[in-house]
Amino acid sequence: MTRLAFRNLFQSKTRLVISVGGAALALLLILSLDAIFAGVEKQITAYINHSGADIFISQKNVRNMHMASSSLPITFVKTAASVPGVDQVTPIMYLANMVVVGNERNPAYIIGLPENAVMGGPWQVSVGRGNPATGEAVIDRSVAEKSGLSLGDNVEILGMKFKLVGLSEGTASLVNSVAFISFADFVSLRGSQDAVSFLLIKIMPGDSPVDVAARIEAMMPQVTAETTVDFADQEKRVVKDMSTDVVTIMNMIGFLIGLAVMALTVYTATLARRKEFGVLKALGAKNNDLYRAVVAQAFLSVILGFSTGLLFTLLLSWIIPYLGVNLLLEVSITSLIKVGVVSLVIASLSAFLPIRQIAGLDPALVFRGK
Amino acid sequence: MTSSTLRVINVTKRYGNSTTEVIAVNDVSFSVAPGEIVLIMGPSGSGKTTLLSMLGALLKPTEGEIQLNGDVISALAENRLPDIRLRQFGFIFQDFNLLSALTALENVTIVAELAGSKNGAARKKALALLIDLGLEERLNFLPEKLSGGEKQRVAIARALINDPALILADEPTANLDSKIGHEIMRLLRGIAKGQGRSVVIVSHDLRIKDIADRVLWLEDGQFKEMVEMATDPVCGMKIEKERALSAKWEGRIYYFCAKGCRDEFTQEPEGFTREIKVIVE
Repeated sequence: MTRLAFRNLFQSKTRLVISVGGAALALLLILSLDAIFAGVEKQITAYINHSGADIFISQKNVRNMHMASSSLPITFVKTAASVPGVDQVTPIMYLANMVVVGNERNPAYIIGLPENAVMGGPWQVSVGRGNPATGEAVIDRSVAEKSGLSLGDNVEILGMKFKLVGLSEGTASLVNSVAFISFADFVSLRGSQDAVSFLLIKIMPGDSPVDVAARIEAMMPQVTAETTVDFADQEKRVVKDMSTDVVTIMNMIGFLIGLAVMALTVYTATLARRKEFGVLKALGAKNNDLYRAVVAQAFLSVILGFSTGLLFTLLLSWIIPYLGVNLLLEVSITSLIKVGVVSLVIASLSAFLPIRQIAGLDPALVFRGK
Repeated sequence: MTSSTLRVINVTKRYGNSTTEVIAVNDVSFSVAPGEIVLIMGPSGSGKTTLLSMLGALLKPTEGEIQLNGDVISALAENRLPDIRLRQFGFIFQDFNLLSALTALENVTIVAELAGSKNGAARKKALALLIDLGLEERLNFLPEKLSGGEKQRVAIARALINDPALILADEPTANLDSKIGHEIMRLLRGIAKGQGRSVVIVSHDLRIKDIADRVLWLEDGQFKEMVEMATDPVCGMKIEKERALSAKWEGRIYYFCAKGCRDEFTQEPEGFTREIKVIVE
């Protein structure tokens, strides 16, 4: 019966294209949306993951950077350095603001970096320097290109003009970018000499980030110390919480489109072969045999649609970086499993109506030429 | 093959109820012996298709019973009938009814697989049958690429694949030219006489009478005696031989609808001596 399903599916090329294409488009919608959000999560946590720190220390109960604010006394730098297992401490200033070029405003995480910081700076610099001095800034290359900026040009950050001395790579996402200025400039602009935003901690070789973070919290009860992995996870969770509704709605739309296309094509395919199913029934095929053929056809369509959808998503993820869009498509295993399950549900539901149709088919009609 | 006899005992099929009731088959009885070919003829609407559907366990009689190998198949539960159809009957249809997406070989194999044969064994058996029917060059052709005769031979192979006791054929030569029709008739005769299977054919094709052991005439849902018909050589009217007036000329008997036609004929017989064929319609 699987062979019959396979042959039935491939006999009508038009129906095959509609059926597989429809399922592929619907699943592409779900897959690519998931990939976009996974990509945004990856981009948005890029700074944390590439900071070089093993532990992030923040104000008590602050567990991420996005849409958050943290303030720690500068004296905590020394306190943190004295915790057993801590090798290096780098204080950074942080604020979510804008990189302004003329009328163009680009949302950005503004990072104030100490002179000769060993952590927290840009991890890949394509042009110029990565450690800005007073009056200097480093911004993402794609933001600079979009605004037509090059080294030596001025940008406005936190209301002050900075000279562009470096362009960083991988520091932009669909929603924002990361810009670096000197610690001194940040402090003078914000007017607080004795506070920092976060402390980035490098631990001693051989020590565990989890253990050291626990020691920090034990010795410094006014702070929250999280490993970089946990801190990045919290950041992702914030993005996820913000986007869950959108993703759910778009997934539902994708699911319904896929279901409608599949149900229609499987139904019409069965309708077109009503007489042949009647012949099989007259010859002695049981309803279950025929159901298997219909279900197999639906599943084959969906499997082909899923493969095509995945192929197009991977193709998109390869093409998009060449289009100059700060968008990263990341196809995750979780997403593949989810779309796989959605595909199976679509296949099962789309076979439901044709099965009912076959169940009611009178095999005696074959002798009446119907 | 299991030797078997089909017995139809006082079978009636009614459709509708009281005011709209139609009796399609009315108190019909007959039996088919192993290796026998029975041809059922009759005008359109006479109940042939209904009877054939009941013989093939596709339709249940309202009254009476149908026995196959002594088992009353008309009393079996609905869920047991597919298995009976699959293993005990071979169906041959007027318009072949091959599955359009499958090749000739697959069309035959699938029926054996439905009966539980493993793919390899089913394929081997189908291959042997199709080669035996002269289709070795057409095994992997889709039905649309086959001629009418080839399609019907595939349908015959499909009917035989599960080694049935009874072959039921509905107008097997209707869509074929006379040469191919004759070939199909020869094959059906071979199946009955060579393999000992019973064959029941429903047809309007008079040529099939040549291979039939018995011809049954179904009219208004009942079997009636075959009436031999003749054509009046003068007016061309079809008449029953037994009731007609007759005249002999040059050693041959001619039949007439009325005295006037016979008188006209006897006055100048040379002008009317055309070939008169027996019409059974």
